[in-house]
Amino acid sequence: MTKYIIRRLLQAIPLLFIISLVLFVLMRNTGDPLATMGGRRATRPEDRARLARQLGLDQPIYKQYIYWLIGNDWTKIDLNGDGIAETQGTRQGVLRGEFGFSLLSRGKPALDIIMERLPNTLLLMIPAEVIVLLVSLAVGVYSALRQYTWWDHFITAGSFIGYSMPIFFVALLSMYIFSVDFKRWGLPYLPTVGMFDPQIGKTPSQVALHMVLPIFSMTVITAAGYSRFVRSQMLEVISEDYIRTAHAKGLPYRMVITGHALKNAALPLVTIVGLDVPLLLGGAVVTESIFAWPGMGRLFIDHLSRSDTPVVMGILMIISVAVVLSQLLTDIIYGWLDPRIRYN
Amino acid sequence: MKRQWIFSFVVSVMIASLVLAACVPATPAPPATEEVAQPTTEEQIVQPTEAPSVQPTAEPTAVPPAERKVATFAWTQEPDSLNTWYSDMWFADILQQIWSCWAWQYDDQNLPYPHLVTEIPSMENGGVSEDGLTITMHLRDDIVWSDGTPITSADFVFTYDMVMNEANAVSSQYPYDYLESVEAPDDRTIVMTFAEPFAPWESAFWQGLFPKHVLEPVFEADGTIDQADWNLAPTVGCGPFVFSDWESGSFMRFVKSDNYWLGQPNLDEIFFQFVPDDAAQTAALMAGDADLGTFPPLSDVPALEDAGLKIITQNGGYSEGWFFNFRDMASPAIKDLNVRRAIAMAIDREAIIQDLLLGLTKPAETFWDALAAYGYVPPDIVPWTYDPEEAKRVLEEAGWVDTDGDGIREDANGNKLTITHGTTIREIRQDIQAVAQQQLGEVGIDLQITSNDSDIFFGSYADGAPPAVGDLDIMEWSDSTYFPDPDTDYWLCSQIPSDENPYGYNYFGCDEQLDALFQQQLVTIDSAARTKIIQQITKYTHDQVYWYGLYVDADYWIVSEHLTGVKFSGVTPFYNIMEWDMQ
Repeated sequence: MTKYIIRRLLQAIPLLFIISLVLFVLMRNTGDPLATMGGRRATRPEDRARLARQLGLDQPIYKQYIYWLIGNDWTKIDLNGDGIAETQGTRQGVLRGEFGFSLLSRGKPALDIIMERLPNTLLLMIPAEVIVLLVSLAVGVYSALRQYTWWDHFITAGSFIGYSMPIFFVALLSMYIFSVDFKRWGLPYLPTVGMFDPQIGKTPSQVALHMVLPIFSMTVITAAGYSRFVRSQMLEVISEDYIRTAHAKGLPYRMVITGHALKNAALPLVTIVGLDVPLLLGGAVVTESIFAWPGMGRLFIDHLSRSDTPVVMGILMIISVAVVLSQLLTDIIYGWLDPRIRYN
Repeated sequence: MKRQWIFSFVVSVMIASLVLAACVPATPAPPATEEVAQPTTEEQIVQPTEAPSVQPTAEPTAVPPAERKVATFAWTQEPDSLNTWYSDMWFADILQQIWSCWAWQYDDQNLPYPHLVTEIPSMENGGVSEDGLTITMHLRDDIVWSDGTPITSADFVFTYDMVMNEANAVSSQYPYDYLESVEAPDDRTIVMTFAEPFAPWESAFWQGLFPKHVLEPVFEADGTIDQADWNLAPTVGCGPFVFSDWESGSFMRFVKSDNYWLGQPNLDEIFFQFVPDDAAQTAALMAGDADLGTFPPLSDVPALEDAGLKIITQNGGYSEGWFFNFRDMASPAIKDLNVRRAIAMAIDREAIIQDLLLGLTKPAETFWDALAAYGYVPPDIVPWTYDPEEAKRVLEEAGWVDTDGDGIREDANGNKLTITHGTTIREIRQDIQAVAQQQLGEVGIDLQITSNDSDIFFGSYADGAPPAVGDLDIMEWSDSTYFPDPDTDYWLCSQIPSDENPYGYNYFGCDEQLDALFQQQLVTIDSAARTKIIQQITKYTHDQVYWYGLYVDADYWIVSEHLTGVKFSGVTPFYNIMEWDMQ
């Protein structure tokens, strides 16, 4: 197993290198970060030329990638535009743990910007994922064990409705109903945006209160999809011979379902959850935007739309590493759950 | 037992996450109480007793928990930086009147009044020399930074030095690169010297200031101020409020300053909640979770008004319009003045404003309409009126006739009257494109429309951006002069993009007569003489249809009924923030 893990990790190195190269080239072609600098009008040509030089954006793309990867403290750069490279570079590069500085919030390390947002994203995404798993398992199993009953039809219809609704619709609808309308009707209401009420402060209860609607919006849609998956897996498993054998042996119904059927039915869910792990880091773009939740999804969109290569590359590389690691972890867990699987 | 352990673990993790999230910022927590704020009174307010720290990360401010007057502003764009020289964002720049200071500010009539200086320099008071090459300013005696340090002329010289230093990647060196020097003969006097007269100086200089005592040590240590903590956490400022804390993506907070030389504001705290989604901003305002918002979706305006919110518009200098391309690579049709005139008469601007903008604005006739109050728009301009029949007649006379009956006109050589139109992906612009395509089609003009993300649309000549390389005959966006000054360098011949000048932004063409007028106004210090030149420019660009205005793109503010004393300037919007109060 140790050899297997080491081999997989070594294989990941060239993979991540290729990913970084492709992403960097794509990023540098998504727009000009100096075009408007976030302003309402085009950047003045004199300033644009100067900034391109100062930020290294006037260099050929291969050189920009090299600087991003290994830094430029081994060479000199031309800061004042006189054509003579006389200033020592200061960047250290990703391989030495420096993701560069944001082009928007100039001077702020890209990694700092990302790490500021990561806890908020995990705070929202982990409970959402846990709730999704619990709800989808409960609903899926319940529905499968009562196939073609009124409850099964009801749950199936509800799942399809939930799954077919776009997230922005659920988010805005819930915001208007539970915040705007409930307040107008004199009912207890939920907050619309942000993480806390500034009059009260950032207390755990305030944060929890502000998490309700975003988590509800994400859960409705994802749990609807997952519950269908669990239901179909469960239906497949409970018709297997070993389940019949378990019943014939006289095992209690609950033990047959939880100990034998659910364990096997849930196995493919591990793969799905494994794929979800990197998405947890990526955040939920729409939900975070609508509820003004300061997470990674918003950060990614905000900086992508402004072509802020260092920050976007940082996010993408973190997610890439997470994908590689989570897949490895998934394979290991799979082997642990299913003794028939051996890694040599 | 095992299940209990797992359950306990999950619950513990969630609780720990909540607690950690609540403790994440190293910056001060706001008044931490679960009590709902009670109505406040002036008498109950307890003022902070200590000046804010000079350190980049603010220390907690001792504040009473429940009686504070906190105004929450929904801010749809998070600033890149609070240092105005490191951000071009409107949402960042307009915060200057809250925590920073300008030498002179502008009122709700967009007229300047002295702020840091005793009076605005002019020829009459001797502040501007006869030749226009020297401007002398005198500072007030009582102005101080929020930490109590006096603001002196050394801060102005330091600001100039930092902006012009190549080690600092400031967003723009305009207009400081027009200066030859800035000197401080004493700590109350600043002397600016130009190589050539620079007429727009009043609306361009000293829009913010660097505290020398804070940033000079940083520059000496690092050789640049790019990484200065002050840029993102300016705990020393010179406005009525002082920066408190900023949590990325979430909020920014300012508290009232103890050391503001004009007294203390009515509000205790201004809390900027970043709300990137327009619909969510509307909901937050309607639910009372925000007291101020900006630029609402126009379709939401009736609902906002029904909810008791006020919509205030202010002229910020911008107008939405079409820029016409008359460079060599443009289509022959668009270079024909008759075609441009026909287009101006074939577009029903009133219908666009009524149908797409709910009648909330008015047509912009010239690029200088936002400055009409200054007299830059001559009275003899004849507005373009919607007259499709006249447009057809003009086209017929110019030789554009539909000979093959397909609804599109051709010239004598059979070339189709096809015009390309490009803009950014902003929804209203794409709607206008669709309407314009239909209206121009009715007079026999084929309008081909495209749109791009703004960072691609405004890309450089080297990047192949459509306007820069001349792929578009008509380009649409909202723009202004160096408001409130009438100067613009968009039509200068020297700004035409090329291999040698890849960042040039004259995407339109070189008209030597127009170029000469622009050059002349730039160095004309005499106000009356300059106004006459601007009037000539205004009329010329209007009659040549180099720019065709669609509508005045005003600033829209949504104000809660709880906020009182609210006024806005188009230049320095929060100029009277001192007088704002909460009911």
